[in-house]
Amino acid sequence: MLKIENLHAQVEDKDILKGINLEVKPGEVHAIMGPNGAGKSTLSSVIAGNENYEVTEGSIELDGEDISELAPEERAHAGVFLSFQYPVEIPGVTVTNFIKTAINESRKAQGLEEMPAKDMLKKIREKSELLEIDRKFLSRSLNEGFSGGEKKRNEIFQMAMLEPKLAILDETDSGLDIDALRIVANGVNKLKSEDNAVVVITHYQRLLDYIVPDYVHVLHDGKIVKTGDASLALELEKKGYDWIKEEVNS
Amino acid sequence: MELKEKILSSYVAFENDLNTNSDIHEIRSKALQNFEDLGFPSKKLEAWKYTSLNSVLKHDYSLFPDNDTAVELADVKKYFIHDIDSYKIIFIDGKYSSFLSETTHDGMDVCLMSAALTKAKYKPIIENYFNKVAKQDNMTSLNTAFATEGAFIHIPKNVEVEKPIQIINFTTGKENATMLQPRNLVVVERNAHVQIIERHQSLTDNAALTNVVTEIYTDTHATVDYYKIQNDNINASLVDNTYIEQQKESTCSVHTFSFGGNITRNNLNFYQKGEHINSILKGITIIEGKQLVDHYTLVHHIEPNCESHQDYKGIFNDRSTGVFNGKVVVEKEAQKTNAYQQNNNVLISDKATINAKPQLEIFADDVKCSHGCTIGQLDEQALFYMQQRGIPKKEARALLMYAFANTVLESVKIPEVKKRINKLIANKLGVNIGFDL
Amino acid sequence: MSKYTEDDLREELKTKEYEYGFYTDIEADKFPAGLNEDIVRAISKKKNEPEWMTEWRLEAFRIWQQMEEPEWANVNYEKPDFQAISYYSAPKQKPKLNSLDEVDPEMLATFEKLGISLEEQKRLANVAVDIVMDSVSVATTFKETLAEKGIIFMPISEAIQEHPELVKKYIGSVVPPTDNFYAALNSAVFSDGSFCYIPKGVRCPMELSTYFRINEGGTGQFERTLVVADESSYVSYLEGCTAPQRDENQLHAAVVELIAMEDAEIKYSTVQNWFPGDASGKGGVFNFVTKRGLCETNAKISWTQVETGSAVTWKYPSCVLKGNNSVGEFYSIAVTNNYQQADTGTKMIHLGKNTKSTIISKGISAGKSQNSYRGLVQIGPRAENARNFSQCDSLLMGNECGAHTFPYIEAKNKSAQIEHEATTSKIGEDQLFYCNQRGIDTEKAIALIVNGFSKEVLNKLPMEFAVEAQKLLEISLEGSVG
Repeated sequence: MLKIENLHAQVEDKDILKGINLEVKPGEVHAIMGPNGAGKSTLSSVIAGNENYEVTEGSIELDGEDISELAPEERAHAGVFLSFQYPVEIPGVTVTNFIKTAINESRKAQGLEEMPAKDMLKKIREKSELLEIDRKFLSRSLNEGFSGGEKKRNEIFQMAMLEPKLAILDETDSGLDIDALRIVANGVNKLKSEDNAVVVITHYQRLLDYIVPDYVHVLHDGKIVKTGDASLALELEKKGYDWIKEEVNS
Repeated sequence: MELKEKILSSYVAFENDLNTNSDIHEIRSKALQNFEDLGFPSKKLEAWKYTSLNSVLKHDYSLFPDNDTAVELADVKKYFIHDIDSYKIIFIDGKYSSFLSETTHDGMDVCLMSAALTKAKYKPIIENYFNKVAKQDNMTSLNTAFATEGAFIHIPKNVEVEKPIQIINFTTGKENATMLQPRNLVVVERNAHVQIIERHQSLTDNAALTNVVTEIYTDTHATVDYYKIQNDNINASLVDNTYIEQQKESTCSVHTFSFGGNITRNNLNFYQKGEHINSILKGITIIEGKQLVDHYTLVHHIEPNCESHQDYKGIFNDRSTGVFNGKVVVEKEAQKTNAYQQNNNVLISDKATINAKPQLEIFADDVKCSHGCTIGQLDEQALFYMQQRGIPKKEARALLMYAFANTVLESVKIPEVKKRINKLIANKLGVNIGFDL
Repeated sequence: MSKYTEDDLREELKTKEYEYGFYTDIEADKFPAGLNEDIVRAISKKKNEPEWMTEWRLEAFRIWQQMEEPEWANVNYEKPDFQAISYYSAPKQKPKLNSLDEVDPEMLATFEKLGISLEEQKRLANVAVDIVMDSVSVATTFKETLAEKGIIFMPISEAIQEHPELVKKYIGSVVPPTDNFYAALNSAVFSDGSFCYIPKGVRCPMELSTYFRINEGGTGQFERTLVVADESSYVSYLEGCTAPQRDENQLHAAVVELIAMEDAEIKYSTVQNWFPGDASGKGGVFNFVTKRGLCETNAKISWTQVETGSAVTWKYPSCVLKGNNSVGEFYSIAVTNNYQQADTGTKMIHLGKNTKSTIISKGISAGKSQNSYRGLVQIGPRAENARNFSQCDSLLMGNECGAHTFPYIEAKNKSAQIEHEATTSKIGEDQLFYCNQRGIDTEKAIALIVNGFSKEVLNKLPMEFAVEAQKLLEISLEGSVG
């Protein structure tokens, strides 16, 4: 589904990604771990098409199509969803209004009619129950005054609504208490199917207790330096990242 | 004779004592012409919409008071911040008093404008800085036309002046009405740091009108902290025109404490000429009777990545009037500007008036600018609460007012100045409590 | 709201040029250009006005001659040549029609294009429409329904004939001809406008609305609106404006007077979309309007406006809070794009005790436009416990426009509580990327963010207007960001 080859990217002339290779197949869960500054968030931004980052080399393919030249909304229409580490606030725009607009824009891009209001409401009801979201929350301004946990839950709610092919969860566990973490992870697991894939970007292992990855990749200095199964995450949790750095440097 | 006419006609006599062949004289003559064209400001001017000088201008001022008046240190000591070591530039009726002053030429110049304007060695600085940032408006032009004396401060690069400089202008009141036009110039070079305290003080209740112009230049990474203490007698009026030009990475703060005087108008102008500049404008006004204090501020953001912080608090009793006219201009190039302006007022009398006009003029899109202006009263519940705990009403009110104004004092860096202001506030509020909370 | 779909919006977004810029070809009965006492008399005569009205106009004209055009607003424009304007023009139709069938088909087609066809309006029900086409009213509906309640809603020219005692009593009572240059001019030459009287204790059962259009080239339009809400009555009045595209500048100098008597409430909503000039700043309407309301005891006046049009706008809907416990509100969205200039805001004059006012102003500047908020909050010495809250937010789009805030606050009573807040912001790149990531393209994302920014004001508009206003916001900001 997602195929990244020799991806190099820079921000303000500084190289951040230095040759990433990654393949994610339908039904898989991948975790990308690594120390601060390894390039984890850059990778997610580059996949989503943030124009602050310049791709200098390599390719990003989704279902065999190169998406690296597409606008962010076109990638979104193709099925890429990024759960932001720091979701932005948009004053005056309600959660409901925002998600309605997002869904209909995607449908429009696919040549579909707008989703009838009745279906929309039904879907909102379903998904908000899944994520244990209070209905009142839906009429508040997007992310404005939300707690850290509410923002992340809102991200996963939007993911549930948009039903992407590829979901990238960037540090979704940060700022979550244990109950919120369980709700969010539970939501992600319920949304997972044979046809979609999840990339979890995280610094800590604890989210991976709930969302169990098929593969764990360690990102260090802009490259994937080690790949393993779920047990690698546990090992990292125990031993930290220093041993990886040493292994790479030796 | 009207004051304007008197001023214009006295200029010839004034010229006689000066070297009329200098560049400075050229500047003076032009300024006089400018003043002749513009005249004194009236309420018809938007900038003077809320403040009329008419009552002040009707006196028959002596423009060049006698200068042989002796003043005993004991009589005026209370107007100094005397519990710190400081340089002092003291004027009596517009003339320098060497007896009360303590100046220096040791690694810097803390001395007199009269010397700077006439001596060859200061010529480059005068040429570069004198009357450059000052606006050519009516009151400034009037001052420039008669500019001969005042404080001249030049701090070379990397010099951190270890003690504050006090500039005090005394009016003896020997004549029925005295008009003074002090002219100060402060040039602070790269990476230098100076603290200045300015005060204007009449020694009698005779009428006095001071029209002072101060130009301040802060070079790259320099720091200037300027404190204005305005607690003059009831017939003394002040038009303060201060112009500050800042170069990159410099910081300049001006604190204005207005408690006394008849009419006080503070024209405070900041021009930011580089990146990463910080400008700080703070003020506390506590007045009563028929006093009027008018703060007219301008911060001109010209370059990117700069900041300005304004915080003015006012407490108005009796028939007093407060005016706050704060203008922030953000030019097109001044992206990432962070401009903050706050003006809070408390009216404690039915006859007091507040006029506020906090303006923003913004031409850049990536900026954070906000202003807030409130007019309100003291919190009755808090007052009751304090009374219930045994604090008498008067003291409770004073405490609340002090707390209200306190945000301005937090940034005062000289503890003795802070102590003095605390005392002045206590006096002003008629209580005998220490505010050192 | 539900009637308006995304598709409608998309259609709308396709048209970059001013979409209502068409011209209705109706032969006009028109005066020669110029202004003098004879012209004023002729206007009055044309309208068959009583002597007192003619005299009132002449007096206003004499006052106007003594006045100078104001220059304090933050706008630059070439001053109109008042002697080059024709001060009267009326369609050569029978002025009174009994049904829609009698209306000129071409005119009906015009309304169709505007999306306000009478057919539709009728179906919408609850909206009575008094259409002012080039100064003379040609169609009025729902008059009978209103008449049952004793509500008078008619062109002011008719009211002068039919209810002279009411007009005489109230005209100029809130905005006297001496008030300002344009008010004086309007008083001398006003062509027509609406008059509305709600009797004691009556709650007007429908939104009253008037659509104004400038039609004939070179014809200034001088509307005069007078709304009187008698004790304990209520009325919601909607005013919408569109103007055809023109090259030369057109002057619009209206006067609106509202009188809310004891316990009465008036809601006055405006969507203003005069021709703003083209993208290069050519043409466009000059909109110099005086709007003011007077509140007696316990009365309330609420102004809501969405201003997207005009080349130059100069407008301050104000409230004089004379009675104790009276309330004034001002909710405004002003959008400027290209070379538009707007200097708009409000005055809240607190005279009575316990008076309250709220000001919410949202300014959106794009292109090379200049957008100024100018407001006055004045608390008189006898206005015990007066309260004001003002919030002025500016949104800048691009780096060639300007946003300005000039609030004047004058308090003469110690029990006053006044809060004024102002902020300036822009649409953040992070906000746009976030929307893009969720599949929303940049143009749509801007519309979404602008709507969010303006929401507090949009919410105050009656439903029919809210939809139109939203459309207008999006149209007027098209192409303003990369």
